[in-house]
Amino acid sequence: MESYDRRGFLIRIWRWAGGLVAAAGAWTTWDVLRANGAGAGARVRTVAPDEVPSVGVLEVREMKGYLTRQDGEVVALWWKCPHLGCKVPWCDSSGQFECPCHGSVFNRIGEYRRGPAPRGMDSYAVAVENGELVVDTGEVTLGDPPGNETLDEPTTGPECLGSEGG
Amino acid sequence: MSDDEPTIIGNKRVLGIVPSRPPVGERKDPRADDQVMVWPHLLVRHAVVAVAVLLVVLVLAVLFDAPLREIANPTVTPNPEKAPWYFAALQELLANFHPVVAGVLVPGGIVLGLLALPYIDRNPATAPSRRKVAVATFTFFLVAWIALTIVGFAFRGPSWSWVWPWQEWYGEL
Amino acid sequence: MSMSSKLRQTTIGRSIWRTPDAVTERDRAAKHWASFLLHIYPVKVRRDELSFRYSWFLGVISLVLFASLFVSGVYLMFFYVPSPATAYGDIENLQTEVAFGQFIRNVHRWSAHLMVLAVAAHMSRVFYRGAYKPPREFNWVIGVILLVMTLLMSFTGYLLPWDQLAYWAITVGSSMAAFVPWAGDQAQQTLLAGDSVGSATLVRFYVLHVFVLPGTMVMLVMFHLWRWRKDSMLSHPEGGDHE
Ligand code: FES
Repeated sequence: MESYDRRGFLIRIWRWAGGLVAAAGAWTTWDVLRANGAGAGARVRTVAPDEVPSVGVLEVREMKGYLTRQDGEVVALWWKCPHLGCKVPWCDSSGQFECPCHGSVFNRIGEYRRGPAPRGMDSYAVAVENGELVVDTGEVTLGDPPGNETLDEPTTGPECLGSEGG
Repeated sequence: MSDDEPTIIGNKRVLGIVPSRPPVGERKDPRADDQVMVWPHLLVRHAVVAVAVLLVVLVLAVLFDAPLREIANPTVTPNPEKAPWYFAALQELLANFHPVVAGVLVPGGIVLGLLALPYIDRNPATAPSRRKVAVATFTFFLVAWIALTIVGFAFRGPSWSWVWPWQEWYGEL
Repeated sequence: MSMSSKLRQTTIGRSIWRTPDAVTERDRAAKHWASFLLHIYPVKVRRDELSFRYSWFLGVISLVLFASLFVSGVYLMFFYVPSPATAYGDIENLQTEVAFGQFIRNVHRWSAHLMVLAVAAHMSRVFYRGAYKPPREFNWVIGVILLVMTLLMSFTGYLLPWDQLAYWAITVGSSMAAFVPWAGDQAQQTLLAGDSVGSATLVRFYVLHVFVLPGTMVMLVMFHLWRWRKDSMLSHPEGGDHE
């Protein structure tokens, strides 16, 4: 082990103290500024299960999403595009979700069809409580990666996207 | 030249003629690396530039109003959704590549590359003819970036589809 | 004797300016040491730095635009409260009720766009001139940081009017942060102060836009200019470029 004189020792102490203060400052800043998650993830009471359509979707603002059915099961989709977060609107004429921002397209249950999105739309956990669907927006399941479309539902008409979409 | 016969040029009497070269050595031409006083030579130029820039800003501000759309509405995504023009190139990349590539790797790589440039390029030459690789690389990226910016800014319409700017205009400033 | 030189000769005048009128080159050189505004300049520069061709004056142009943004931005701050409930209305009010409000906002907006252009062009010009070569490497690094900060300034300012343009541009722009490996979601949530753009985001961007970023930029610009001043006294590599 090297030996120090008093000056070298004091310089070391100052450096360590400075480093410690900087690290504490950085950590405090991070801890103050990072989102604490409060407010997000509320449980939202929605409609009765039999009001959820199996043709088309039902938009529910409170849960920032849509309700629809897959083989009879209720699916609650988050409307936030898995690409860059635009709200993905439902296109009535074509019967699919079409994101206007960069042209990602998803089928009725949110599975990836085309566009720059890296996966299908994300979905929330749903439960039935007292005859009402309760959607837990804090519990998000990420959409499936492209290429696993299970729903066999062709488009029903012209797309809402621009003529040469995507 | 004698006193009794003055030389007259253009109604003025010529008093003397000096040789075009100094008595000793060569004539000194102003050279690029001569040192000149900042005050006034550089200061007056900077002042003129400053006035010119402010004038341009003033004219723009009088002629064109800054845009203001409807109030923010989290439930309606406008179509097309356009980023500010200096991110148009990035947005154009995002529409074509996975976000990790277009949103993280490319911009991160560009910034890191620029930061590291003086430490990578150790060639001391400054004349473009003697640093062809550096100039070619930089120019390639610059041109690509400008082209992507113009495409993203002016040539993209609803749902990021291709439009001709002289037919439909969707650029946002 | 002119009014201003009389003023300089008074007791108060001398306490402020400290040097007499600049008559000779020597006086002017002395000014560079005594005057605060002039001390950011070197006393002498190479003759070719005077020509437009050398730098296109892009550095000065950027600096002037920064100053214009600073001044117009202070005006705007008087009329703006960063909250989703008020922000949009404040801008409308600014444009319709405040004297010259629309004009000041226009100045701020166009200066911002021009500054992005000027800074990018400045960087390109410096590249093509090879002016980032030793001993100027680190000043180039500072310059790149300043370019990034200029973009961040513009980006944070973009949200403040709280209109559709602002909201969705920031939504899309900040979502890119989510794709950063490992810490992506954390990074995005920290940027937005939540899961999506909201009132906390607005405050956060406001503080960054009017204080943190400009403050940092002023310091970095001072350092950038100081380095330029120091380096302009050094000889240039190869004794200058011969284009
Ligand atoms: S945000 Fe939906 S496609 Fe980019």
